[in-house]
Amino acid sequence: MAQTPKTYNQPKVLKSQSQALEFATFYIGEALCGIDILLVQEINRQIEVTCIPKAPDYVIGVLNLRGKIVTVIDLGKKLGLSPIRVSKYNRNIIVNSQDEHIGLVVDRISDVIITDSSKIEPAPSNIGGLRGKYFKGVYKTDRSLIGILNIENVLKEDSSNPVNIAT
Amino acid sequence: MIFEDAETLHMYVEESLEHLANIETELLEIEEAGADIDEELVNSVFRAAHSIKGGAGFMGLSNIKELAHKIENVLGMIRSREIVPNSNVVSIVLKSFDKLRDLINDIENSNDIETSEEIVALIGLTTASLPSNQKDIVLNMVDIFTPNGKKVFTVSQFDVTQAQKQGKYIYLVEYDLIKDIHQKNKTPMSVITSMQNSGIIMESKIDVGAVGSLDADVPMRIPFLVLFASIIEPDIISALVDLEDKYVHTITENLISLSKPENETSKEKESEPEFSIKTEPEIEPEPAPEVEIEPEPEPEPEPIKPKKEPKKAVAAKPKVEKVTPPKQKNKPVETIQVPEHEDMEIKTHEDEKESSMEAKSAKSSATLRVNVSLLDTLMTLAGEMVLSRNQLLQAILANDERAIEISSQRINMVTSELQEAIMRTRLQPIANIFNKFPRVVRDLTKELSKEIDLNIEGKEVELDKTIIEAISDPLTHLVRNAVDHGIESPEKRRKAGKRQTGKVTLRAYHGAGQVNIEIIDDGKGIDGDKIASAAVDKGLLTEQQVSIMSEKEKTALIFLPGLSTAEKVTDVSGRGVGMDVVKTNLDRLGGLLDIDSKVGEGTLIRIKLPLTLAIIPSQIVSVGKERYAIPQVNLDELLRIPPHLVKERIELVGGAEVVRLRGNLLPLLNLSDILDIQRVFVNPEDGKEYPDRRKKIADRRSKQSPLFYGNNENDEKEKNSKDSSDRKVSDRRFHSNSAINIAVVSAGAFKYGLVVDQLKDSEEIVVKPLGRHLKGCSGYAGATIMGDGRVVLILDVAGLAQMAGLSSMEGTDRVGEAAKLAREAEKDKKDRASLLVFRIAEDEQFSVPLSLVERIERINASDVEHVGGKRVIQYRGGSLPLIELKEVSNVKPLPQRKQHEVIVFRITGKEVGLLATPPVDAVDVSVSIDSATLRQPGIIGSAIINKHTTLMIDIFEVVKIMNPAWFDEKTNEKIMSRKSQATILFPEDSNFFRKQVKSFLEEDGYIVIEAIDGKSAWDILQERVEEIDIVVTDLEMPNMDGFELTSLIKNDERFSHLPVIALTSLASDEDQAKGKAVGIDSYMIKLEREKLLDCIKEYLSSK
Repeated sequence: MAQTPKTYNQPKVLKSQSQALEFATFYIGEALCGIDILLVQEINRQIEVTCIPKAPDYVIGVLNLRGKIVTVIDLGKKLGLSPIRVSKYNRNIIVNSQDEHIGLVVDRISDVIITDSSKIEPAPSNIGGLRGKYFKGVYKTDRSLIGILNIENVLKEDSSNPVNIAT
Repeated sequence: MIFEDAETLHMYVEESLEHLANIETELLEIEEAGADIDEELVNSVFRAAHSIKGGAGFMGLSNIKELAHKIENVLGMIRSREIVPNSNVVSIVLKSFDKLRDLINDIENSNDIETSEEIVALIGLTTASLPSNQKDIVLNMVDIFTPNGKKVFTVSQFDVTQAQKQGKYIYLVEYDLIKDIHQKNKTPMSVITSMQNSGIIMESKIDVGAVGSLDADVPMRIPFLVLFASIIEPDIISALVDLEDKYVHTITENLISLSKPENETSKEKESEPEFSIKTEPEIEPEPAPEVEIEPEPEPEPEPIKPKKEPKKAVAAKPKVEKVTPPKQKNKPVETIQVPEHEDMEIKTHEDEKESSMEAKSAKSSATLRVNVSLLDTLMTLAGEMVLSRNQLLQAILANDERAIEISSQRINMVTSELQEAIMRTRLQPIANIFNKFPRVVRDLTKELSKEIDLNIEGKEVELDKTIIEAISDPLTHLVRNAVDHGIESPEKRRKAGKRQTGKVTLRAYHGAGQVNIEIIDDGKGIDGDKIASAAVDKGLLTEQQVSIMSEKEKTALIFLPGLSTAEKVTDVSGRGVGMDVVKTNLDRLGGLLDIDSKVGEGTLIRIKLPLTLAIIPSQIVSVGKERYAIPQVNLDELLRIPPHLVKERIELVGGAEVVRLRGNLLPLLNLSDILDIQRVFVNPEDGKEYPDRRKKIADRRSKQSPLFYGNNENDEKEKNSKDSSDRKVSDRRFHSNSAINIAVVSAGAFKYGLVVDQLKDSEEIVVKPLGRHLKGCSGYAGATIMGDGRVVLILDVAGLAQMAGLSSMEGTDRVGEAAKLAREAEKDKKDRASLLVFRIAEDEQFSVPLSLVERIERINASDVEHVGGKRVIQYRGGSLPLIELKEVSNVKPLPQRKQHEVIVFRITGKEVGLLATPPVDAVDVSVSIDSATLRQPGIIGSAIINKHTTLMIDIFEVVKIMNPAWFDEKTNEKIMSRKSQATILFPEDSNFFRKQVKSFLEEDGYIVIEAIDGKSAWDILQERVEEIDIVVTDLEMPNMDGFELTSLIKNDERFSHLPVIALTSLASDEDQAKGKAVGIDSYMIKLEREKLLDCIKEYLSSK
C-alpha cells in the first residue's frame, strides 16, 4: 500500500501477552488501586471545586482546568468504598474519558509500578457483582495487592447511582 | 478494503455529502418541470451522482458505486428525454439518493448494506422506458479488455451504448498510484475530479492483482485503472490525463465483449484492433490476493477475445463463463456471469462481507467550512492580539501606567472583534434545514393526498451551528403539523371557498438581534375553545380557569404537556412528539414560541431564536456561598423588596408564596429550597454573611388569600407554613433590614420570581457544557468560568420550575386571581403610572415612564469619552451615546462624581443613555401632571411624587434635539402619512394624557378628535362617522369606559369596521382578555409613543 493506515492511539489493553504496562497507584482509604498511566492526563492538588446541588452524591463538584469544566468525583464513593477523607495528601487525578476530562479525588497517591500484562491476575471472584466490573484484575506485590481499575466502567453513569432530582 | 487511508475516505465522505446536499431541491424542481426538462438542473444532479460513483470505485465501495451508477443511468435517460420525470420516477430517485446518503454516512459498513430494493426499482425505470428490443442491453454486461487481452472491467452494455451514442470515445487509462499520482503530488480525488471535467468515468478500480506480476520489470507499480468516456480525441487524451501514451488505451469494439451469450446486439461493429492483442492465454499466473474487494476475476486470460472470432465477439462469451468460475473455488461469486442483476447484488454482498474492511473512523460532521476571507480576518486579529500582548508586557516591565491603559484598551477592542469573528465562523445558513422541507412536504402531501405549495423565504439567514442542529427536529414537527393538521383536504377547502391548493410558508428573517422563523399555513387554524375544552376534559384545567383565558391563551394551551397525546386519539395532533416537546426544546435554546391562529383562516407560528448560544449576557446572582448565572433572555426584571414592604408585597396563596408585581401575582420559588442550599444574607451592620434560617419569606402577617385557604391539595403545604409560623416565634427574622431579592424570570409558559440571596453584576459569559455525570441535573443549562477562575453554574429556568413542580397553568391561575384583586385595588385609582424617579443635580427630581427604560447601568466617570462633540461610552463592543439633560433643558448640571447612573432608552431602534444621579427608584403612583407651569424643551410637565416636585422628561424630544438625524426616516414616513390625513377619535378623561397623546399624534400627521369620556366619544361617532378612520381609547373613564365603548362600536354595523386600540397604563392579562372579548384590536401602553404610532400606522395601512 502506498499509504500506511492511520490508527488512533488506543490505550494499550491487557489483551496481548506480556506487554509492558505502567500503573499509577493510589490509596482509597486503606485500599491500594491502580490505573493505566496512559489514561492519566495529570495529577494535581486542585480540589477546590464549585458544588453542584442536586448532583449525584459521588460528584464533589466541578472545577476549571485551564478553561475546561472538569467534573470532580469522589472515587471512594463511586467505587462504593469509604468516602475520601479530606487531608493535605488528597490528590486529583485527571483522566480523559470519552473526550471529557474527569477528576478523580483519591486519599493519597502512591508509586508508579511497571509490570507486564501477564502478571495481572483476574479479580477474585468474591468481588463479583456490581463492584466486580470496576476491576480489570489485581496485581500482587511483595507487600500488597493492587486492584487495577477499569476506568471506563467506573465512570459509566449507571442506574445504580440514581440522580437525585426532586420530583 | 483496498484503500485504508482514513483521510482520503473522510474527504470522499464529506465531498459526497456536499454533492448530496442540494439534490432534493433540484429533483423536486425537475419533477415540477415534468417533461419540460431543464437540462442544466438534470446535469447538476447527474454530476453529483457521477462524482460519487467515481470516488466510490476508487475507494472500493462497490455498493455505493453500483447504486450511484444506476441512479446515473436513470438521470442520463431523463436528460436525453427517454424518461419523463413524473412523480413516480422522482420518488424512486429520491429514495435511491436517501439510500445512497445512508450508505455514505455509514461508509465502513456500506458494502454490507442491502440495496437491492432501490437497484431493482431503478433498473425497472430504465428498462421500462426502452423499446423492447433494447431492454436487454440494460441487463447485459460487457467485459472490457486491455489490448493485451486482460479483462479489466465488466460494465453494463447500456453504458457503453449510451456513451457511443453520444459520440464519445472510451479510454482505458492506467495510472500508477505511486509514480503518476503520489510522486506528482496529486491526490487520487483530484485526478478523478479533473477527469470528470472532460468526460465520464464509467468505472474505476485499483488493480491489486497487477502489483505482484509486474514488479519484476516495474517495481512498485500500483495501477489505478479508469474506464473513461469522453469526446476528447485519441491524439490528445494522453496530454489531458498527463500520462504516457502506452498507459492510455482507446477501447474499440474489439476490446469489448458481451458477458452474456444469448444477446446479439446489432450495436457491435467490427473494427480493426488498434492494438496488437496477444492470443496466448495465461499472461500472468495471477496470485489474486483475497484482499480484492471488487469481485474481480483474476486476469485469467480469457482466451476469448474478439480477435479470435472475427465474426461476432459474442460467440466467444460462453467460454468466459466456463473458465472463470472454477478458478475461484472458494468464492462463489462471479459477477459477470450472473444473468440477473438482483442476484448479482446479493452475491456481491456476500463476497464483500468476507473482505469487509476494518472499521476506521470516517464519520465526518466534526468539520466546518469557513470562508477564507473570514479566516484571514481571524488571523489578522490574532496577530493584533499578539502585538497588544507584547505592548502590555513591555508596559508592565516599564511600569508605565499610561501604556498599560492603552494596551488594555486595545486588547479589549481586539477581543470583542475576535469574539465576533469567531462567532461568524460558526454561523451557517438556515437553508441547511430549510432545504429538506420541500421533500418532507412533498412526501406528506402525497401520503395524505392534499395539495400544498411550500414557499420558503430567507434561506440565507445565518444561525449558529448548534442552533441549526437543535431546531431541525422542532421545525420538522411544526411543518408536518401544518401540513397534516393545518391544511385541509382539497374537498374541504373547496367547500370552505378556499383555493384548492393549500399554502405553507416558511420564512426566516433577522429582527432585533434575534432570528425569527415563521411557519404560516392557510389551513383551518386552531380552535382555542376546542383545545380548552379538551384540556378541561383531561382534567388539566378547570372550567373556571378557562373562562378567564383569552383566545390566544387558549390556543397556547396546545403547548401544555399531556394535551397532545390526548389529541392524538381525537385526531387533532399526532406523531408521538407533542407540541410541548417542541416548546421545551426551543426553550432550551432560549427561543420563544408564539402562536397566532384564526379558525378557518390559518395559523402562524413564530419562533424567535438568539444568534448564538456560545456567549450570552447573563445576570449573576448568589445563593449560599455559590454564584449562579441566569441567562438574560430568561430574565424579565429584578425586584428588591425592602423589609418594610415584605408584609404588603409577599403573600401566601394556598401555602405557596407569591409576590405582588404591578397588580399581578407572581409565584415565587426559592432557589435555595429547590437546590437545598443553606441560605445566607449580608448583615448590614457588619457586612458579613450569616446563614439565614427563615423557612418562608412571607411574613407571618402577610395576607392569605381566602380563595385558596384550606384547599385540599395544598393541605400539606398549609401545614408546613403553619409549622414555620410557629417556628418563627423562636427563630425570628435575623435582622429586620433583610430585603428580599427576586429575579423575575420566564421561559416559555413559565414565569416566576426566583428568590436569591444577592443580586450581582450582569456579565457576558461563555457557556461550557457540563460533564456526562451531571446530565441528570435538569436545573442547569451548563457552566461558565468567571473572571476569578471559579466555575459558576448557569441556571435552566424551565428546568428549575419543573423541579419545583411549578406548572405554567398554576401561574395563570394565580395571575387570574391576582388580576381580580388588582382590579379591586385599582377601582379607586386612575391613571396610575409606573415611573422611574431619579436625580440629576442632588436637589432636582426627574422622572420618565418606566416602560420606556431598557435598563440602568452604573459607569465610571473616567470611562466617558468625548468624541465628535458628543459623549459616548464603550459598551458591549459598541458605543453608547450619553446625554446630559442640561444640554437640552434648563436644569442644573450633573455633579462631579466618580460614578454615574445611566438610564438606557431605545429610541428609533438605537440605544441612548441619559446620565443621572442616585437615588434611582421605580414607583407605581397615581399622579396628576401639570403640563403648563414647568414646561420647557425636553420637559413635558411636572408632578408631585413622594412630596417632591418632579419634572417629567420627554425623552423623545430630548433625543430629537440632540440627534435630529435619528428621526429623519420617521419624518419621511410622516410626510407620506400626511397625504392621507387619517382621523383618530381619541376619548381620554385625563387632561394630561389627552394633551400628550394628542400632541404626538398630531405631530405625526393625524387629525385628532378629542372626547372627554366614552359617552361623548360615542356621540361624536354617531355624527361624524365618515371622518373617523380609527379609534384610540382610554379604558378607565367615567360615564362610559373603554370596554363598553368598544363593545358598542363593534356591535354596530356602521362602526364595526373601525379598528380600536386601547390605551392603558396597566395592561393586565385579565384586562386584555376582557378587551379581546369585546373586540379591542390592540393594547398599547400610554406614552409609549413609538409603539403606538407604529400600531396605528399598521392598522391604517391594512385597511
